[in-house]
Amino acid sequence: MTDATLSPSVLSARHLTRHFTTRVPGRFLNAKRVVRAVDDVSLDLFEGRVTAVVGESGSGKSVLARMLARIVTPTSGELVLEGTPIPVRSKRTLDYAAMVQLVLQDPYASVNPVHRIRHALERPLLIHGANKSDVEEQAKTALARVSLEPPERFLDRYAHELSGGQLQRVSIARALCVKPDVLLADEPISMLDVSVRLGILNLLRGLCDSEHLAILYITHDIASARYIADETIVMYAGQIVERSHGTTLVDEPTHPYTQLLISSVPDPSDPTSQDPTKSEHATFAVADVGCRFAPRCPSAMDVCRVEDPPDFIVGEGHTSHCWLHASEPRAAVEMALPQRRREGEPTTT
Amino acid sequence: MSADTFDIQAVSDPLEPRDSDVVVANERSEFVLEVTNFSVDYGVGDNMVRAVNDVTLHLRRSKVLGIAGESGSGKSTLVYAMTRLLRAPGVISAGDVILNVTNPDNETESTSVNLVTASEKELRKVRWSHVSIVLQSALSALNPVLRVGREFDEVLKTHRPDMSKVQRRSRAAELLAMVGLNEDRLVRFPHELSGGQRQRIMIALALALDPDLVIMDEPTTALDVVTQREIISELHHLRSRFGFAMIFITHDLSLLVELADEIVVMYAGEIVERAGARELYDAPRHPYTLGLLNSFPPLHGQRRELTGIPGSPPDLSDLPQGCNFYPRCPFRMARCEHEAPALTSIENADRGVACWLHSPDSPIAVPVELSRTANPARNSAPAERSRS
Repeated sequence: MTDATLSPSVLSARHLTRHFTTRVPGRFLNAKRVVRAVDDVSLDLFEGRVTAVVGESGSGKSVLARMLARIVTPTSGELVLEGTPIPVRSKRTLDYAAMVQLVLQDPYASVNPVHRIRHALERPLLIHGANKSDVEEQAKTALARVSLEPPERFLDRYAHELSGGQLQRVSIARALCVKPDVLLADEPISMLDVSVRLGILNLLRGLCDSEHLAILYITHDIASARYIADETIVMYAGQIVERSHGTTLVDEPTHPYTQLLISSVPDPSDPTSQDPTKSEHATFAVADVGCRFAPRCPSAMDVCRVEDPPDFIVGEGHTSHCWLHASEPRAAVEMALPQRRREGEPTTT
Repeated sequence: MSADTFDIQAVSDPLEPRDSDVVVANERSEFVLEVTNFSVDYGVGDNMVRAVNDVTLHLRRSKVLGIAGESGSGKSTLVYAMTRLLRAPGVISAGDVILNVTNPDNETESTSVNLVTASEKELRKVRWSHVSIVLQSALSALNPVLRVGREFDEVLKTHRPDMSKVQRRSRAAELLAMVGLNEDRLVRFPHELSGGQRQRIMIALALALDPDLVIMDEPTTALDVVTQREIISELHHLRSRFGFAMIFITHDLSLLVELADEIVVMYAGEIVERAGARELYDAPRHPYTLGLLNSFPPLHGQRRELTGIPGSPPDLSDLPQGCNFYPRCPFRMARCEHEAPALTSIENADRGVACWLHSPDSPIAVPVELSRTANPARNSAPAERSRS
């Protein structure tokens, strides 16, 4: 599974940036402050592959998904859909929506409660020009694709009659019924019960494997990203800080932020994770100059506070946005990295 | 007062003063909370739904009891009813909840209060000073139009009337310092604070009067993992310092294994398994517990397909006739369809499981996944079909 064997990407983002301007209250002459929600993010979504974006709240991952769905207009950067550059400043077209679909976090809020499930599925079909006579058939097919069977039982129900997991499947079916090439899933499992989360993850993986969809999976749960993704991207304060293929990112994290994320996941099989002394007081402070993670970073050096690091290549398809990997202080990485290094099987990607 | 003679009216009409017949001072009990045969219903008559069914729990002093289960399993209803915070149509239909509060004058003595029969006046004495609660959503639990300091001030003013304003203020600052927040947060409004900071304030508020028991209802569910980790370490630290007992409710079983001493797993209003935290993780005995544990993708090891628990969470108004877990259980037998298993002790007194597989006359042998002995390396479990 290397890049060389892949078909060209379905959807590519090049240097996507989104800044929000906020007023600072109480300052002279409405002083403005720019929040760099997403800063210079480039990624590719490939047919039949799941790309995961991991980050905590406020890291810009949802804004990124909304830019890819063209609900939010980027400040700068460009989108390329199947080789065709998209004028990002123009309005989203129906054709674009038919290719790229978004699934939202909260299924209870994203399915209209006063209409039957039939309505949720047939309306997008009609908007996208399906024949009135066969929308029902297509809606049934869509429900069957997300394993809601028999479909007839679900078509005439209301949202409140379904469980969260079933609703999220409806939400995925609604996105699928216009036959998109790209599915953007923004935290699709975080509102669901633990016992049905895996079902949704397996469904997404299955859609990707059997129908060759390109999937962007956004989450704050790095373990679920490891479970499902072919490529994992870690975002912090609007920037990509680390990216890698397969399970390498979790098995061999190189960026201090990735390490922090991984060590925060409750893991009873690891005795060190129960060490209560690991509490460090992190505030979501973002440095204006230098590396954005420097104020929280346990191994911050002088250079980190002055200059934003470039991406260093630390392995095949594995980059890290951290000065620790500049050729000189490479040794320092090993010292800062004791936590979750494990002699697991070598991961081949 | 026994469960048989229990009068529902007494619960639903808190304004009527009643003399509780169970307030007695005696030697300090080793249990801080004893819940026996406790049941809670929503509604009455034909539409009645039993949300908590015949739950018995004992919590020792300074220990952490974890309650795990998915939504609708009755875990929140249980603690709200236990503390008599449940509103209509919720009704306590049976059982006793004995809270053994430490005497403030003499630490070796304790007083028992039956929370189910206690009058509103008695409850007011017990609440917050002896049992406090941290709610799931810190944003809606704090009053948005009050500065944070006011919340502290009001609690202390009500329960410690002899404190002066200056003392109250310094106590509030001390409490904030305990949870790692700066004193200047006292003049902030809730919306000016992040989710993690608000949750810390809720914890500080809960500890304001040095309670015997703190109940945490999913305190970290709305937070992301890094903040959750900080809050959990904070709790570890506070508990070792003040020695309060804790009931921690969550759906995240792996978090509980780290935090709790004992875990009960609830399904459809009943306890299906009770065990020490490590035991439960290393050697689950109930198929539902096994399913919950397998619902979390691991952080290491070969990537393999996990199945979780098939089917959807139970509908309390339409429960199966026999075992509640029957429709979703991978190990079901003919007997499970018609007869509901009771929580029975196995192996040792602290361990219980409600499953026919573990009864002596089970027709099939206990599956290998459910008969592991404690402390094998979990990672050595046979890899299923691998992927990647």
